[in-house]
Amino acid sequence: MEDEDKYNVCTACSILCDDIEIETENNSITGVYTACRKGVSRIQTCNEPMPCTLDGKDTDVDTAISETANILKKSENPLIFGLGNSTEGAQKKAIELAKQLNANLDDTSSFCQGPVVEAILNGEINYTCTLDDVRNNADVIVYWGADPANSHPRHLSKYTYFPRGKYRQKGYDEDRTAIAIDVRESSTAEICGNNSYLIPPQKDEELIDALIDALSGKVPKVSFEMNKKRILELANILKKAKYGVIFAGLGLVYSLDNFEPIKRLMDKLNEVSNFYFNPMIGHYNMRGFNQNLFNETGYINRVKFKDSEVKHGYEYSVVELLKNKSVDSALIIGSDPMCSLPGSIARNLNKIPIITIDPCETLTSRKSRINIPSALSGVECGGSAIRMDGVRVNFEPMIETSKISDEEILRRVMEEL
Amino acid sequence: MDFGKFLETPEYDIKIITYRDIFQSEALENSLFGDEYKDLSAIIKLDSKDMEKMGIKSGNIVYLKNKYGDVVVKAVESDSENPHRGYAYMPNSPWSNSLVSDETGNTGVPNYKLIDASISDAKGEDIADIEKLEVVNV
Repeated sequence: MEDEDKYNVCTACSILCDDIEIETENNSITGVYTACRKGVSRIQTCNEPMPCTLDGKDTDVDTAISETANILKKSENPLIFGLGNSTEGAQKKAIELAKQLNANLDDTSSFCQGPVVEAILNGEINYTCTLDDVRNNADVIVYWGADPANSHPRHLSKYTYFPRGKYRQKGYDEDRTAIAIDVRESSTAEICGNNSYLIPPQKDEELIDALIDALSGKVPKVSFEMNKKRILELANILKKAKYGVIFAGLGLVYSLDNFEPIKRLMDKLNEVSNFYFNPMIGHYNMRGFNQNLFNETGYINRVKFKDSEVKHGYEYSVVELLKNKSVDSALIIGSDPMCSLPGSIARNLNKIPIITIDPCETLTSRKSRINIPSALSGVECGGSAIRMDGVRVNFEPMIETSKISDEEILRRVMEEL
Repeated sequence: MDFGKFLETPEYDIKIITYRDIFQSEALENSLFGDEYKDLSAIIKLDSKDMEKMGIKSGNIVYLKNKYGDVVVKAVESDSENPHRGYAYMPNSPWSNSLVSDETGNTGVPNYKLIDASISDAKGEDIADIEKLEVVNV
């Protein structure tokens, strides 16, 4: 090990594991320890690094930045999108740039965990806690519509179910109960064994109301095949929890029309027990983007700057902007909307000039007019990020690089403007 | 591709639930354009009884279609111990996104997790590489 005392931070997901050890040789990473499969792959960097190109031909970074400024200057309604894989420094620069350009600004939270983060930052959900609190205190852990064994592999082992904690010295053996509520038999559901509850798609609200009834001493009813005894048994575990936590996955978020059912459940749980609520955020700094934009505008995503005014609404979401073909250029930073958006919407990106800033080639970059390679944050450049539970994490680069960070690229684009 | 010929093969309605897979995420981190990512993404997991009814065997190439798009993927028998007839599972990827609706009901959030589509045998067809998907070639 190169430096046994030095731990690194993994930026593959928003757990931001801070206990990563690496081996290096001649400024290359030759070994990664402690990280999950996804983390090891992220830290070892991609097989297809981004080339610097303009109209499909190799160019230098100065020319690419200068041409980026030209496109954005000429654009009447530009879109800036991404930033979930960028440092807080880059996010703040992107917000400044969006203001300067009167641009639309959005990120993946717009079609992901946005409603949950918004409810937390607006104070609509007060029952949140940190992952460290969970490790030290939690005796009942509920994964609802979430499968961390696949999406966040170290969530269970580092913070929730398996570790010993200050007040949970016996760990999962005796001190903790993990519960999975999902529409399919996920890997996490297998770990939860008998405490796994399968429900049909879109029936989450019905189960929430049945649980509220059961917690209120009423007989729970659901329209689907689920034994009342099972619902009462689940309600009983929740009621007896000394420190319970619900981790909400996209399965739960997508199945609800609004946040009211979750608020109802959390209020009831805290009447009879002691429960917290946290989102399972994917990209390592999505929450940082939401928090930084919220601090600046009062909104977490979906904004359009217009002189000193900030407009906000679903019509400024990346999905609606592209669907309605209302933007005339797109600056994509650390994201791949061609991959992550519905095909029926993403195809509209082909009709406008795209500029992509990313360490690796993406589907979007292969259709972009300009590509600017950036340093991979956490590996090639340092910075800070907000973990899924709201805790700020600082990190240093693991190796040196000649590539510049996305923060520096954005600063230079602004300078050109 | 001549999709007209699929009209002659029987179609079955299916509801697709999308999910994340750590091995697919690892492959994505390594190479979005690699064979491993494609092999772990362009698949649909079906209930064994549904496969029997449809006359589809594990490893068969199938054609999925709805009003938002179409895509060719490989059918795999589900390893779920609980039966899930009428429902199929696909890892979240540009292949599954080819079928996601652009209708959001003024929410800005498409329904990624539950997709209505039809499925039919696509004998002789190839699974498109990521760069050959319709999304990048319109």
